[in-house]
Amino acid sequence: METAKPVKTVCGYCGTGCGLLVEVKDNQITKIRGDKDAPVNKGQTCVKGAFAYKYVHSKDRLTSPLIRRAGQLVESTWEEALTVIAKKLTKIKFDWGPDAISMFACARSTNESNYITQKFMRAVIGSNNIDGCNRT
Amino acid sequence: MGSNTTEAHPIIANRMKKAVKNGLKIIVADPRKIDMVKFAHRHLQINIGSDIALINSLINTIIKEGLYDDEFIKANTIDFDLLKQQVSQYTPEKAAEITGLKPEEIIETAREYASASNSMIAYTLGITEHHCGVNNVFDIANLALLTGHIGKRGNGIMPLRGQNNVQGAGDMGCLPNLLPGSRSLTDETYRRRFEKEWGVSLNPHVGSTQTRTFEKMENGEIKGLYIIGENPLLADVNLNHTRTLFNQLDLLVVQDIFLTETAKLADVVLPARSWGESDGTYTNTDRRIQRARIAVESHPQVKEDWEILCELSAKMDYPMFYQNSEEIWDEVRRLAKEMYGGISYSRLDNEYAIHYPCPDENHPGTLVLHQHLHDQNRADSRKSPFVPVSYTPPIELPDNDYPFTLTTGRRYETYNTHTQTRFYAEGVKIKQPEETLDMHPEDASALGIVNGDTVKVSSRRGSLEVKVKVTEQVVPGLVFMSFHWHEVLTNVLTINEYDPISGTAEFKACAVNIVPADKQKTN
Repeated sequence: METAKPVKTVCGYCGTGCGLLVEVKDNQITKIRGDKDAPVNKGQTCVKGAFAYKYVHSKDRLTSPLIRRAGQLVESTWEEALTVIAKKLTKIKFDWGPDAISMFACARSTNESNYITQKFMRAVIGSNNIDGCNRT
Repeated sequence: MGSNTTEAHPIIANRMKKAVKNGLKIIVADPRKIDMVKFAHRHLQINIGSDIALINSLINTIIKEGLYDDEFIKANTIDFDLLKQQVSQYTPEKAAEITGLKPEEIIETAREYASASNSMIAYTLGITEHHCGVNNVFDIANLALLTGHIGKRGNGIMPLRGQNNVQGAGDMGCLPNLLPGSRSLTDETYRRRFEKEWGVSLNPHVGSTQTRTFEKMENGEIKGLYIIGENPLLADVNLNHTRTLFNQLDLLVVQDIFLTETAKLADVVLPARSWGESDGTYTNTDRRIQRARIAVESHPQVKEDWEILCELSAKMDYPMFYQNSEEIWDEVRRLAKEMYGGISYSRLDNEYAIHYPCPDENHPGTLVLHQHLHDQNRADSRKSPFVPVSYTPPIELPDNDYPFTLTTGRRYETYNTHTQTRFYAEGVKIKQPEETLDMHPEDASALGIVNGDTVKVSSRRGSLEVKVKVTEQVVPGLVFMSFHWHEVLTNVLTINEYDPISGTAEFKACAVNIVPADKQKTN
């Protein structure tokens, strides 16, 4: 049987930062184990880290941008969706100023995405109205 | 303190339990008889929200018995007299009345904490999710400074953080007052560094917290909101009010992996990549930076958060181009070099994890912060002020109409608003598949309720129906719920009262009434 090398990564749930070995077959996660080399968990995992991964492959995942038209969210292209957002944000900024826009960043996303998130808010929008779920 | 470690941070709990076998003494301060109590040498089962009465009394005892570290205090702190004065009224007897503990329990704890060679305080949202959350944290810091239990291995204050990268998101500047590297944006020299790199002049005024943003949405000042990977409709207090505010916006953008309850209210929804499909780094609860790698290829129409924002900024006349996440990280390393300069992807591949601050490639990283406090010859002579605080009871205490206190938290197998933990691998037996109201047997029998009965729970803000779990984990008069399931919207009950400094809501205490559901129908 063909066994691909498991992917070394870090758990995406709580803040402990457990190192995981993710086994993949046909682009599907088949098993997750704790990484013995990981300094935090030394091979252990909790029930969420080891077993609550099926959401990645769920049929309910969003696979297209959606735009609200006549009250309903309908599928659109990236081009349309981003154009709508850019236009509306620009208009709000023009009419009411940059501080009429606010952004909630994601505490589950990477440092790199979070850096770009605040750069977008500060350099493009011109506001420091950016926060995460730190307070909840 | 205020940490249900076994359920919220299971692997940290395992390590604590293992340390007990090697002689560690654990003292659990928590209103509920949580699992950690089994491994604890002492359980301080305090009344909800009475933390400051407890801590002030610990400080009172430590001062009275001369157990404080006089040298450390002189070298590192100011305002010790103010602290002394403030805690003088918090005798163990007085604190016992407020906390529900015995005076001896407080005195013994004070002696144990102060005299142990190493003492550490770990806390979670049981400390912060109160109207006085910041004061609770100040008082923990007072205790650590008083005894010098900080800046040495095995000591210190350890907030256990709830998300894989909640630490990193803040460190990267996703806070209204801080730039990447956690330095104030009002620091002009530091701000200039970013203005130069980014080629723009930056707004020097501190922005709005999430809490303040909700207020500004209410009075119409905020017109557009962009939410990434968060489901605040379910996660925040006073849910019905949150829904109204979202509906009033000119533009609500939600970028997520599922059509969450919040996304359903959006004007535009953008599909993002999930964990397992994203590349980059996370910063864990003890400042350890580690690599997150791609395990599976995502759907072709789904993008990483940073890719989406780069494309959007190009449409708003500010193009940002990056080949990959490493290029972004190298920009962070360049700008916030004091913190991350030495933490390259190649080093992370070799070393697994590096604690920031790590200013250069030869720096090993910083396992323990504040070590300079114990260095007699240090250059930095800044002193830490004690911040004396007073006990203030929860905003909404039980009364005749709402005779129970509801406290909220998390459960082991479920994560926040359960959008992801709904999808377990086959064959995993889930012990708690749905929400319950956890209630003490005495209260259940007084209401004529048995395990599994449905009750109607009401607060001044909303009501819901839920099954009862009869358990001695709570005390009479106190009931517990989590907010994981959208089928039972716990946050319709919670109160929108906030800590004035942090903006954190008082999720841990509100008053509710409980009646059997069938009785409700026949009435």
